Amino acid sequence: MSDKLIDRVVPRQQKEWDIKGALNFIFGGAGAGLLVASPFAAALLADPRPFLALGLVLVAAGLFSVWLKIGRPWRALHVVRRPSTSWMTREALIAPLLFGAGAAGVVTGAPLFVALAALLGVVYAYAQGRILKANIGIAAWRRPACVIVVVATGLVEGFAIVGLASLIWPSLTALGYLVAALIVARFIAWTNYVADLRRTGAPTGTLAAFDAFAPRFLWLGHAAAGALALLGALAAQPLALALGGALAAIGGALFKYTLVCRAAFTQGFALPKTPARGRSKPGPGLQPGWERPKAG
Amino acid sequence: MSAADKAAGASTKSVPSFCYNCVSGPDFLRVKVENGVATEIGPNFDGDRIHPAHGRPCVKAYGLVQKTYNPNRILTPMKRTNPKKGMKEEPRFVPISWDEALDTIAGKLRAIRAKGVIDEAGLPRIAASFGHGGTPANYMGTFPAFLASWGPVDYSFGSGQGVKCVHSEHLYGEFWHRAFTVSADTPHTRYNISFGANVEVTGGPTAVIRHADARIRGYKRVQVEPSLTITAACSAEWVPIRPKTDPAFMFALIHVLVREHGLDKLDIPFLRDRTASPYLLAPNGLYLRDPQTSKPLLFDEASGRVVAHDTPGAKPAVAGRHRVARAITIDADAAREDFSDVDGVTAYQALVDHMARYTPEWASDICDVPADTIRRIANEYLEAASIGETIEIDGVTLPLRPVAVTLGKSVNNGWGAFECCWARTVLAMLVGALENPGGILGTTVRINKPQENRHMSVKPGDDGFMIQYFNPTGSNSWEAQPTTRNIHRTLVPIVGRNGGWSQALGPTQLAWMFQEETPEGWNWPKPTYPELWFVYRSNPAISFWETRRLAEAAAQFPFMVAFAYTVDETNYMADILLPEATDLESNQLIRMGQTKYMEHFWDHIGVVLRQKAVEPQGEARDFSWISGELARRAGLLDGYVSQLNRGISGVSPLKGETYDFSLDSTSALDPDKVWDAVCKAATATLSQGKECHGLDWFKDHGFYAIPQSRLGWYLTPTLEKQGLRYELPYQERLLRIGRELGNRLHENEIHWWDEQLTEYVGLPDWHDVPGRWERALVNAGGSLEEFPFWLLATKSMQYHSGGNSAIALMDEVSENLHGATGVIINEKTAQKLGIRENDRVEVRSHIGATYGKAALVKGVRPDTIVIIGQFDHWATPYIKDKERASLNTIAPMSLELTDATGSGADIVRVALRRADKAVAA
Amino acid sequence: MSATAQKRYVMAIDLRRCVGCQTCTAACKNANATPPGVQWRRVLDIETGDFPDVQRTFMPVGCMHCANPPCMHVCPTTATKLRADGLVTIDYDICIGCANCVMACPYDARSIQHVAKYAYGTPMKSEEARFDAERLGVATKCTFCKDRIDLAALTGQTPGVDPEVTPACVNSCISDAMHFGDINDPNSNVSKMLGRTEHFRMHEELGTDPSIYYIVDGEET
Repeated sequence: MSDKLIDRVVPRQQKEWDIKGALNFIFGGAGAGLLVASPFAAALLADPRPFLALGLVLVAAGLFSVWLKIGRPWRALHVVRRPSTSWMTREALIAPLLFGAGAAGVVTGAPLFVALAALLGVVYAYAQGRILKANIGIAAWRRPACVIVVVATGLVEGFAIVGLASLIWPSLTALGYLVAALIVARFIAWTNYVADLRRTGAPTGTLAAFDAFAPRFLWLGHAAAGALALLGALAAQPLALALGGALAAIGGALFKYTLVCRAAFTQGFALPKTPARGRSKPGPGLQPGWERPKAG
Repeated sequence: MSAADKAAGASTKSVPSFCYNCVSGPDFLRVKVENGVATEIGPNFDGDRIHPAHGRPCVKAYGLVQKTYNPNRILTPMKRTNPKKGMKEEPRFVPISWDEALDTIAGKLRAIRAKGVIDEAGLPRIAASFGHGGTPANYMGTFPAFLASWGPVDYSFGSGQGVKCVHSEHLYGEFWHRAFTVSADTPHTRYNISFGANVEVTGGPTAVIRHADARIRGYKRVQVEPSLTITAACSAEWVPIRPKTDPAFMFALIHVLVREHGLDKLDIPFLRDRTASPYLLAPNGLYLRDPQTSKPLLFDEASGRVVAHDTPGAKPAVAGRHRVARAITIDADAAREDFSDVDGVTAYQALVDHMARYTPEWASDICDVPADTIRRIANEYLEAASIGETIEIDGVTLPLRPVAVTLGKSVNNGWGAFECCWARTVLAMLVGALENPGGILGTTVRINKPQENRHMSVKPGDDGFMIQYFNPTGSNSWEAQPTTRNIHRTLVPIVGRNGGWSQALGPTQLAWMFQEETPEGWNWPKPTYPELWFVYRSNPAISFWETRRLAEAAAQFPFMVAFAYTVDETNYMADILLPEATDLESNQLIRMGQTKYMEHFWDHIGVVLRQKAVEPQGEARDFSWISGELARRAGLLDGYVSQLNRGISGVSPLKGETYDFSLDSTSALDPDKVWDAVCKAATATLSQGKECHGLDWFKDHGFYAIPQSRLGWYLTPTLEKQGLRYELPYQERLLRIGRELGNRLHENEIHWWDEQLTEYVGLPDWHDVPGRWERALVNAGGSLEEFPFWLLATKSMQYHSGGNSAIALMDEVSENLHGATGVIINEKTAQKLGIRENDRVEVRSHIGATYGKAALVKGVRPDTIVIIGQFDHWATPYIKDKERASLNTIAPMSLELTDATGSGADIVRVALRRADKAVAA
Repeated sequence: MSATAQKRYVMAIDLRRCVGCQTCTAACKNANATPPGVQWRRVLDIETGDFPDVQRTFMPVGCMHCANPPCMHVCPTTATKLRADGLVTIDYDICIGCANCVMACPYDARSIQHVAKYAYGTPMKSEEARFDAERLGVATKCTFCKDRIDLAALTGQTPGVDPEVTPACVNSCISDAMHFGDINDPNSNVSKMLGRTEHFRMHEELGTDPSIYYIVDGEET
């Protein structure tokens, strides 16, 4: 509970999932993205196994990070008990499949396992998006647009990291087109997400956090990153792609940090009507700390 | 044992007790005790139908578990080892044995007794200070018997009385209608204009439930107050009046009633028969009296003649001017003046004439409230008064006048308070709502006796009014040299001379101020320090004004004995600390219902036990044991026993016509035996001998109650039975007494009280009340531009008079209320000053500064800042580590700001700014 | 069991009565021995309007015991459950303290204490007597005083009518603002009260189907 007097009513920044919680989404998303990108790397004559391996390491790091954060780590396995509704359970159940397929891919290099790991990577990223969406106490997370932007971010990060490897495997520079396209897609998902929040209403703090982050995310994480990726592909310049990829990946990571830590404001409280007091009548209420949708 | 207890196992018990941490008690409670440890407080639903709040205590009671086990408690007697005293002098308390502590004190007492209990300045050598509104009496066991066995004790050094209580209301309320505290008859009222009466905070569970019920019933409360307090929030309408202009608002209400509506719309029978409205006034402003009998005269419409006020069968004319053939007036010092063939104007008519200029339009500018609002409220009030309506209570038909004007602290104390108290009582009078169902009523007496039944204090006095016991002002009877350090008998006639209460209601700040410096023209012996000062449940170094100066004054006292819960700002100067068994650790039986303050008029009267639920922590000892031991060691045991047997520390005498539970010098030293006797005597008295229950019975049952008719709530029928009138609206007697007091003072060449003498008038006029504070500031060298804001103080239920700032739970829950622990500022004002929510701010007056966190609200006037509670602790563990602002640090004690009753108000001009230094952790 | 299965305990809070005194907050902390800073029940202080037409409303909040509890849906461990009588419960033996439910709850009702905290730093006797290590590192919240409700099944008493089987906050409320009972029983105190009054529930648009009703107007009795 915040010690600021006013924060008892208005939405406040959630504190339970700190950077450790955010890292599950940062590493988990990038790792899942890497798994998805691996077959594409293979298609461009690179060895997919380092990407698979790195993807698994990142997913594992994310899970480890969150394990450090939970209150009762030694009973962490209880996490699998509610597959019927809990996306956290589902994430936990997907993870072994993902590690199995990924490990098989790393060991055998067999395209089937690589493809299977890629597929599970998509599912994993989606599950992470759904974990956030199910948390309806956080207005920034509960919209479907949030799932799309989380998945898009993971994919961009994965492909962007593969793009970095073009410094080693120049044949990967062609991936720059895809990286650029995904950056465009993420831009659309992101702008759609923020517009959706504005349209449907959100805590003032949520919008302020995104607004504060928006210029850097737009110019460095998208414009510069996309242009460099495209340049890398067009001019077969691995360095350009690597730079663009790095910007895109870092931008994505920072976006998720913003999403999980900075912009994640609680719902706060609303008073639809003030009560009658003796002979007075109920009056108009309010939802403090919220940007309500504009009329019309 | 309850079902819940059975389920929880045999080691758990639920102990009935009470909470009386504030004046709005007692409230019932139960303590859950698990394996000898108190773990939980809850309601006592056994009292559902007895206690007006259905057996529920307020939030403060829930802090009692922490209070018991607070690791910061003083748990052994201690003595000071640093001979120097002061805020900067670490006291260096070291533990000592009870024997050493008690023998040291007893030695002092014996030495003082040997010299004489009165010193060379004519003042008691022993002083005692107790905290808020008499509440300590409900926790100090038999200590009152000890004090009574001693003899004269000076209660002059207040912890806040006069400046923090509703002081003028106490004095004038008791004068006009035996109302030490004035309450709305909330169970019956329909319309309540509340000038800053914060009953939802200070009225305890009884007021809270009654007003909540009234809201649902559809009553209307209009809260006239500069800030949107809890009570304002729970009202139908909030009128943000400019601070201290309440008299102007009330005068305008009277104007609308008497001039825009007129007598035909008012309660003529009440005015005619129960008030002095028909009394005829001479041109000199005094009652025209019969030359032979000196009785005030009135015009009898039945006979068409002027007759004495008590003429049987007369039908007095309320209004008009009437020719009087021959009469006299009696002025101060019995100065007679003869009149013949003179126009006598009725007191009511004088009121009507007097109020001519006080229109709502006139008040509007002063109060910063639209005239239409004032007029509408007056009209609503009159309409709601439903003059002519009746109610049947227990077979008796009484007028139902469901309108009430209530006043809060800072409205009904300090300059302007006399006007407010008068106007409020006149507003009730005009519609017959004074001491009638639905109107305003008094809940107890403290200046008159007996305290437990105000009706019995009503006896015929002068001029057809109730008897009053003023401090004499006659040339032979006036107390020409003070016998207490607050000079109450000499300066304040109306406060009377009824022992401790009259004293404690004197001008307590004078006692503090004059220890340091006496005013020019002082021609009495310089006030002496008390040689021994007892302090219990009282922390004037926080709760009074100009607290840093006060703390240093207290440091000069030669020997201080403090009953100490923790170290605090006052007992920091103590020589001996005595740890008493606290709320849950000792037994005490007290009265309940119809004897208390605020809204405590119940449908029952009886007694309730505060029960020892757990063993005292450490070496803490039962207060009654301490009292007995002090008496024994000081050689006062016989007196102590006889005071106990008189019932001074109990409820009724221990020996009555049908019973005898008298104590002897052995049993009086055993607290259990004392309270057993008190329990038995109380129940025998209440049941008129039919029942008799001892301490063990009370430990199981908690309380003993008998039904009480609501007829007992209202005083008017009692006056009617005796043919008496309320001394309203004209204040002829106060006028006369004021002149007489002036004569005495001036004969003694005392002129420093002259301004206070201006308060003695027949009908009050508006004077620039807030201007008094502005002038005081300018006189002290400040300017209004430099200190542009008004700072006010108000209360919170979590802390109000609880002495509980060291309780962490109270701190935690009070934080849920916006501004409860900060400095409340209008958000637009704050914006102009660049202050944001939670910023550290400095509030500075011309005598100092106080610091706290800004709480920005819409619900306060832009020119007003409000601080809740009394903090700024620097010694009390826990709370001293929190930076909490307090008005008390920066409000000056000042003769200039002391009114005729000796009271002042919680208001001071301040400057406000951001102060960026980090708030102390 | 069918009769029990049909019960749904709810709270009806009359905002006209509430004075924000925090007695319920303190009573809850007494009854449930929650550590400093953890308030399963608290009363908000909400200001509306503009000077001089300003209102202040006091609003008790806590776990809303939703019929469609988002906290339960996200709980990966099944520690959070919805009972047949409407109570949303947490099994401290199962909870892993992942805080997912804390995020899911739109009522700020849940919290996790990772280390023991005491009012004055070191534990007092009363705190020692009631310390429960099970509550560390897991989500906690208002239980509607579950033990008391369960006691009713043994004693045959009625929650909301008999104090011994009624939540501590409701018992403590000095303005009589808080009422508790079975909304599926048309004759219960809360059903009757809600039938006659104007009321709302918090954040109803989120589909949580909360069990605390806030009364703002209408006939109470």
